[in-house]
Amino acid sequence: MKYRLLPFAALALAFSPILHAAPAEVAGFTFVKTVGPISEYRLESNGLQVLLLPEHASPTLTFMVTYRVGSRNEVTGTTGATHLLEHLMFKGTPEFNREKGTSVDQLLERVGGIYNATTWLDRTNYYANVASENLDKYMAIEADRMRNLWLREEDRKPEMTVVRNEFEIGENEPTQALEKELYATAYMAHPYHHSTIGWRSDIEKVSIEKLREFYDTFYWPDNATASVIGDFEPAQALELIKKHYGAITKAPKPIPIVYTEEPEQTGPRRVAVKRAGELGVVAIAHKVPAALHEDQAALRVLNVILTVGKNSRGYRSLTDKNLTTSVDGDVGFFHDPSLYILYASLAPGSTHEQVEKIVLDELERVKKEGVTEGEVSAAVARMLAASSYARDGSFKIASKLNEFIAAGDWTLYVNGDDALKNVTPAAVKRVANTYLLEDKRTTGWFIPNVAGETADAKKTAAPAPKKKS
Amino acid sequence: MKPISLSFALLLAALVSTAPAQIADKVVREKIAGIDLIAYKTDVQDVVTFRGSLPAGDSFAPKENLAVPTLVGEMLDQGTTKQDKFAIAQKLDDIGASISFAVSGVMLEFRGKCLRKDLPVVISLLAEQLRTPSFPESEFAKLKKQLIGDLQRALESTDFRASQAFAETVFPIGHPNYSPPTKAFVAAIEAAKLADVKAFHAAYYGPAQATLVVVGDVEIDALKTDLAKAFDGWTGGKAVTDFPKAAPAEKLREQTIAMADKPNVTYILGQASGLRYKDDDSLALRVGTAVLGTGFTGRLMANVRDKEGLTYGIGAGLSNDSFNDGAWQINANFAPNLLDKGMESTQRQLDLWYKEGVTAAELERMKSNLIGTFKVGLATTDGLASALLSAVQRGYDVTWLDEYPKKVEALSLEAVNGAIKKHLQLEKMTVIKAGSVPPPTSRN
Repeated sequence: MKYRLLPFAALALAFSPILHAAPAEVAGFTFVKTVGPISEYRLESNGLQVLLLPEHASPTLTFMVTYRVGSRNEVTGTTGATHLLEHLMFKGTPEFNREKGTSVDQLLERVGGIYNATTWLDRTNYYANVASENLDKYMAIEADRMRNLWLREEDRKPEMTVVRNEFEIGENEPTQALEKELYATAYMAHPYHHSTIGWRSDIEKVSIEKLREFYDTFYWPDNATASVIGDFEPAQALELIKKHYGAITKAPKPIPIVYTEEPEQTGPRRVAVKRAGELGVVAIAHKVPAALHEDQAALRVLNVILTVGKNSRGYRSLTDKNLTTSVDGDVGFFHDPSLYILYASLAPGSTHEQVEKIVLDELERVKKEGVTEGEVSAAVARMLAASSYARDGSFKIASKLNEFIAAGDWTLYVNGDDALKNVTPAAVKRVANTYLLEDKRTTGWFIPNVAGETADAKKTAAPAPKKKS
Repeated sequence: MKPISLSFALLLAALVSTAPAQIADKVVREKIAGIDLIAYKTDVQDVVTFRGSLPAGDSFAPKENLAVPTLVGEMLDQGTTKQDKFAIAQKLDDIGASISFAVSGVMLEFRGKCLRKDLPVVISLLAEQLRTPSFPESEFAKLKKQLIGDLQRALESTDFRASQAFAETVFPIGHPNYSPPTKAFVAAIEAAKLADVKAFHAAYYGPAQATLVVVGDVEIDALKTDLAKAFDGWTGGKAVTDFPKAAPAEKLREQTIAMADKPNVTYILGQASGLRYKDDDSLALRVGTAVLGTGFTGRLMANVRDKEGLTYGIGAGLSNDSFNDGAWQINANFAPNLLDKGMESTQRQLDLWYKEGVTAAELERMKSNLIGTFKVGLATTDGLASALLSAVQRGYDVTWLDEYPKKVEALSLEAVNGAIKKHLQLEKMTVIKAGSVPPPTSRN
């Protein structure tokens, strides 16, 4: 127990210097609340949510805009559209573009910023980690492309093949291919059925008009959160946000909600992916609740106990016996219920049947016998320390905050660790018995087709190359 | 599921970073128990990050078995004379800390993280693992099987296959950047004897050229005390030796690694650079290469990706040159049916860059980029610790972090374009393609 208490004290210290900071008062903003080091404001003219986290460890900051649109907002024919649109957001506006030398990448690379955009199931985000004096310039471009994007067919064509190559890179990896099919099998109705990159034919054929429709539906200030993290003064940051975003109007129509619910799964499902490869993979997925559900913390602790480190049950029962090369787990942390997937990567000589049985035996053992206090304590200590490490720099903070925004409650960034502290062995056993049910299970195997391997190496020029492995 | 992103080019950009003014003033550098300690206290709360290394990499392998250094590094966390691997892992788990080891061409590298209060425990465990691994026979047998499994799985990766082939083709056996055929490495693992592993540890592990960088919320005086206690009496170790340079290629070399069911082809075009990081011309070539292949505005991404839509990611850079001559290479991804067009477009950009050089405007933009990236890159304990360790590995004092922006700023257009012409030989490069590469006649 003693180790468990100390990190909590450390975390409280980490937040303590700014716990009681007074909110900034800037005309045009409504102060909503302060939780921990983060203050929330609402831009009155258009409903833009604003999160400010001042942190002066270095003279840099991260500015991030999170749109509450992801692949869950897509339907057949537009799968991958959110992501393709994210790429097209870098093609410019009448004001900021490459021809003028004012594009977002030209600015940010000139000033040495680290920037990116990512798309996932529930959200799309755009961000840059820059020296603090560059906030104004970057925010101007970010705000401009919220409503003034060119979206031209001559840009879509070459970008489609770029995105298709990104899809192909993913298809090179057997585990990624298996994960896509797991979700597609586990989800029949809900849009988590398809992956964020989308189906190949949709990537290739979605029209610029459809993409424009997507943009005009979801890219509005009242469907977005602007976060500023790092070395800045709150009042000045709010003034900049008002300057750049204040004139943008609210969405003309309500943002559509996703109302499709996945029907209850009433029996086990299986899927197999057979491709050229070397070693197999067993993936076992169970349906788990949404990110904001109270059982998430116990499920995450369960995952650490099963898969993380040499003392995990998966390592001891499989990897340490040379039956797998690794055992990994991923508890879905999304807006809607998703999957907890266990991956067991087979070692040479082991079989899918053998490994799957051992994984299931371990799950049954947790369900019947539970876990120990020591296992829970170590798992929680590890996760709380990881939370501290994730506060090492504004960029890491932004990455984590982004997922809580997408899940629907940014305050979990501050309070989420409290739930971990309250996890007990009984809670872990309970969630195992609640969610790790055979009838809610989808099992996937990657089966390597070793015979699919073609010629070893082809030589096309002198000197005679050596034989390759 | 992992979010998908545009990160490929940005990762390349992140590899080129500089340092803020007056970093050296805040660095504490001192020999403690023979170890070169470099400590830097930052304003981050509670987080401590460390990086370190000592010369015990693959290039020191005995002639009889090239896998011995890797096996030694991997055995460090399989148990010590005081406790088994599970007990060590439990101690780290209980405090949420990490220690990991990796063997590169020249160095055994170690890294980790912990909370401020736990640094004494972590330093003690690090010392125990480096100094007194127990090398249990049963763990050795398990480890060999695990490594062989990992290598077999890596054969599914086009990136791994292409990188291995490039390193094997461009660098000679014994060079730190040489990579043996995977089958040969697997055979060496299978044949390795525990006695050889123990002997290598005895011969190479010691403080002689060991470096430890600690950055973050660290009490430096207390750290020095803990370090002196944990490593008291440790002796031995070897110095980094000079490695012979890779011979320049005599002609164009091309190799295709045909792999089924791989809809993306990994493409590498490059050569041995002939330069260590610290050599004259190295920085000029680096900056010139960044104009070609760093970021979305680099020539390769701006043209091959942005204008022509032929790839998701393409970049150029220099690498693996801290201790010896390194590699200069372009890395790219192409769909099989766009491979020929992609290679042609890449070659076009390379030829133009080589023939005409970079422009004054491009050079100024890149200087600004590199110097600006400095502030951002060093804003985390990871970034700062890595930069400090790299500086000393490259043979500089930590003052290099303060000098770097000035060195970049001082580069002339003539120096940059001269370095490109002097050190690259486009007609003698090595080309590697790995994936489902179609026969030339069937491509469109």
